[in-house]
Amino acid sequence: MTLQKDPEGNEKKYLHQFGDFKNKRVLEVGCGEGRLTWKYASASMLTVGVDSDRTALRVARADSPADLRKQVHFTGASARNLPFAKETFDLAILSWSL
Amino acid sequence: MVHALDEIRRVLGPTGLLIDIRPLEARWPVEVAAGSGMVEVGRLTDLPIAIADDEAASQAMREAESRGWFVRLQEQEFPFFYYWDTPSEMKEFMDSEWDGFEKLEDGVFEAVKSAWAVANADARLRIRVKMLISRWAKDRMDIPYENRE
Repeated sequence: MTLQKDPEGNEKKYLHQFGDFKNKRVLEVGCGEGRLTWKYASASMLTVGVDSDRTALRVARADSPADLRKQVHFTGASARNLPFAKETFDLAILSWSL
Repeated sequence: MVHALDEIRRVLGPTGLLIDIRPLEARWPVEVAAGSGMVEVGRLTDLPIAIADDEAASQAMREAESRGWFVRLQEQEFPFFYYWDTPSEMKEFMDSEWDGFEKLEDGVFEAVKSAWAVANADARLRIRVKMLISRWAKDRMDIPYENRE
């Protein structure tokens, strides 16, 4: 299959217009396989992607670039019960997940 | 969905921001795109589950706003394109990934095949998904919004 998603880069363009990721602690809810994660994570101080789909998270971890592994983490969790202390993040992204 | 927004609010710092990015149901256009231009050949049919999900998401954000959890700062719609080389590839994707949410009616599929067959050799099929991105501030009335970046 020759599927291409958003080759124009509109999603990345608007994401960066709406969010300043520099030195931010970012939580992405519904990260799935990390398609959106890699469009901003390198600018962040810390990115945590959560999703309840463990299969998708395996793909996300497998696709993690070596130079981002220290600052990007993926966790299996429901958005209704996030396994983090209060006020842990500066920015949250609902990624096609609400 | 409202519980998830409450959880997100809990883990955000006092100047935290939320970005919500998601597709909106809008009978997405099916287009034949080539170097010479683009032509819309039909639209997908939104199925009831997708419409209900869409409305539930919007309702959840409205509720979070009315409870004073978040304040809307900015929103924008933009197109997100899915491309395929052939009509059969597009149909295969839709049947496997969007089954129950979006439907490519037979008449639209026939129109797609006809338009693609007579288009230039570089023609591809694409679906124009309507996206909404919005930015919300965790509601702290003592901090001016301009200081929350």
